[in-house]
Amino acid sequence: MAQDSKKLAGSVSRRQFLVASSAAGVAGLAGCSGQSSSETDAPATEEAETDAPETTTSTPEETSESSESSAPQMLTAEGSSTVYPIANKGSSYWNSNAPPSDGEYWGSNDESTVPGWDELGAPDMRLADYFASLYGFEPTETQANPAFATSIGLSHSGTGCKSVRDGLVDIGNSSGPITAELGISESEAEENYVDHVLGRDGQPVVVSKDVYDAGVTELTGEEVRQIYQDEITNWSEVGGHDQEIYVVGRAEGSGTDTSFRLNMLGSADASMEGVDTRKGQNQQVATVVQQNDGAIAYMALAFTGPEVQPIGIEFEGTLYAPDKSAEHTIFDSDYPLNRDLHQYTTVTEDTPSGTDMREAAFMNMFLTTFGQKLFVEDNNYIPLPDKDLQAEKDKLPSQA
Amino acid sequence: MNVLPNSDGAGLRAAARRGLRRGRDFVDETPPDALVTVTVAAVSLLAAFAGFLAVSSLTAVPFAVFLVATGYGWLRHQELTARVLTLTTTVSTILVLGLILVFIFAEAWPTVQYATVNVFGVPIPGLRLFIETRWSPVTPPIRYSLVPMIHGTVLVTIIATAVAAPLGVAAALFLSEIAPRTVREVVKPGVEILAGIPSIVYGFIGFTILSPWAADQFDIVGQGTYLFVGIVVGLMALPTVVSVAEDALNSVPESMKSGSLALGTTDWQTMTSITLPAAFSGVSAAVLLGVGRAIGETMAATVMLRGSPELTKPLYNVFYGNDTLTSLIAANYGDADGLQLSALFVAGVILFVTVLFLSIGSQYIEARMRRKLGGAD
Repeated sequence: MAQDSKKLAGSVSRRQFLVASSAAGVAGLAGCSGQSSSETDAPATEEAETDAPETTTSTPEETSESSESSAPQMLTAEGSSTVYPIANKGSSYWNSNAPPSDGEYWGSNDESTVPGWDELGAPDMRLADYFASLYGFEPTETQANPAFATSIGLSHSGTGCKSVRDGLVDIGNSSGPITAELGISESEAEENYVDHVLGRDGQPVVVSKDVYDAGVTELTGEEVRQIYQDEITNWSEVGGHDQEIYVVGRAEGSGTDTSFRLNMLGSADASMEGVDTRKGQNQQVATVVQQNDGAIAYMALAFTGPEVQPIGIEFEGTLYAPDKSAEHTIFDSDYPLNRDLHQYTTVTEDTPSGTDMREAAFMNMFLTTFGQKLFVEDNNYIPLPDKDLQAEKDKLPSQA
Repeated sequence: MNVLPNSDGAGLRAAARRGLRRGRDFVDETPPDALVTVTVAAVSLLAAFAGFLAVSSLTAVPFAVFLVATGYGWLRHQELTARVLTLTTTVSTILVLGLILVFIFAEAWPTVQYATVNVFGVPIPGLRLFIETRWSPVTPPIRYSLVPMIHGTVLVTIIATAVAAPLGVAAALFLSEIAPRTVREVVKPGVEILAGIPSIVYGFIGFTILSPWAADQFDIVGQGTYLFVGIVVGLMALPTVVSVAEDALNSVPESMKSGSLALGTTDWQTMTSITLPAAFSGVSAAVLLGVGRAIGETMAATVMLRGSPELTKPLYNVFYGNDTLTSLIAANYGDADGLQLSALFVAGVILFVTVLFLSIGSQYIEARMRRKLGGAD
């Protein structure tokens, strides 16, 4: 009897659960459909209502082909956690729309000047106002109220690519090529998406000052492999002075360690017999290289300096120089320790070029010296070399 | 052989009967109201613990019942409730310790199992952790030998003891027997404050100043030597040694020293032949405590050492410092996963067992000292 009643209770609760969950499912469905319908038409009217008083004069449909809504919508992006720091920092700067007298975030004053300020021609406009005006948006001239707001979501590369494919966001952030993320062909990707590269993720090889001064300013990929696998142990073997090599690696199993093994040593589980010390953080690596003679290491570019010199690496006959204006540089995408950080936009009927004016205004910000230094390099990523910056700018629509 | 278990059984039975009688007396004497309150509190706390283990969202309910019951008990039957509460705190301390132990051992188990070696057909789990010297969590063959780290810990501990023991005991002797009162009253608290300096401060000085200097002076490839880590850790352990050893020397009865002096010995002779031998076990306990600190020291070792686990060549070479058990955990916990993470727990288990034996040892010595000197009175 006791068992029976227990069973009964169980079935009752299960039935209750089923009822409850199906109700929840219906509610969820309702929410979904509500959302999707609102996506198609509601926000345009909503935003028109709310934004109308402030931005009646700014009518970007005159300049851009996308002309369904009367006011520019919020620019949305989401995806890779690797691209996120760059895009999100840019977005935060954009949304605050700092005045040119700020000095720290935009413009210049007695105390400080943002990098690349003179190159921009020291415009007398707020941050987002300036970049938006390049693509025909009217300046708002108010704090925290740019011509259009931007929002960056955080998920994964694959999710970002899917979201931009399905039109859920304007920009899909991805640390891998969209062909791999969505499993599509090169031609299909070229037809439907525009690939904008903001910066690169990578690890230049660095040596300590004494080694650099003794004349080791470049190594071949093979030499680096031999050094890390204990086949070369003295700098004199690669044209330097007579000094044993102090080989610095990163914590075993970390992402940096794995990608170095994979790209430089041949496989993700390649041996690293020659490593004398392993450090977990870029700062520690930089200090160790600075404090010791004969050191070699790999680390984020932002921590290099006169005491910690990035060197050129020769792969298969091509020398990648640590110089932004060289023909092949360690900032290039085909430098084996680098990978591109992408922002994908879609080709639609409204924007046959693939990049509408809002996207162009926002992304152009990253392609200036200002954006490359503050958003890319300060986040420990590798800024684009000059020729790539030009190529990326050419992908954007022409400026107003 | 047959007699012992029988007598044991009889003893047990008698003890059980005594306990039962005491329990019955307790129930008879306590008012039923109080008894119910305490029982409700105990049962609800047990239920809350069970809920906690089962990660139930209803854990809060029995815990609330426990709080209400103890609150009521505190107002109505304060004495009994206080007794139960203090018992509860003691039990929960032991319980928390036990849970931590179980967790560490459970987490360590996969690597121990991975390192199973067959000896004459008998599988011995974990043996390979100690008979090989290869630590290689990424490159095959993947091995998690802890021998290099144990070697590092032993070297650092020996050097640290060599620094802390003579300096510490000498300083304690001076403070306790030679120094004037005013000096002792100023210096002793000062030494104890020294013990509170965070270890990262020592480590930072070691990393930025001592290590590069040592690498330069001894012509070492790169920085990081057991020698200087040992010295720094020894200095860190010094205040502990001084403080505990001074207490031990102080606790030698004045009558023993006076008796010796009355026989015509000098102060120094009294110190070396009476005070030190009498306090020997206490001084050893002080050194052992210092050693315990040296073994467990993490921050200074992690920033100063190289973090590439391998044995030095030759084994007694202290000019290269690779890794200790603690620095291995501190340097790798962020990036490790799977078996590597489990191997770090094995390092934790080894540390735990070592420090456990050290503290039991020092407590045993202290107890012996108290017996010996207590008997002299």
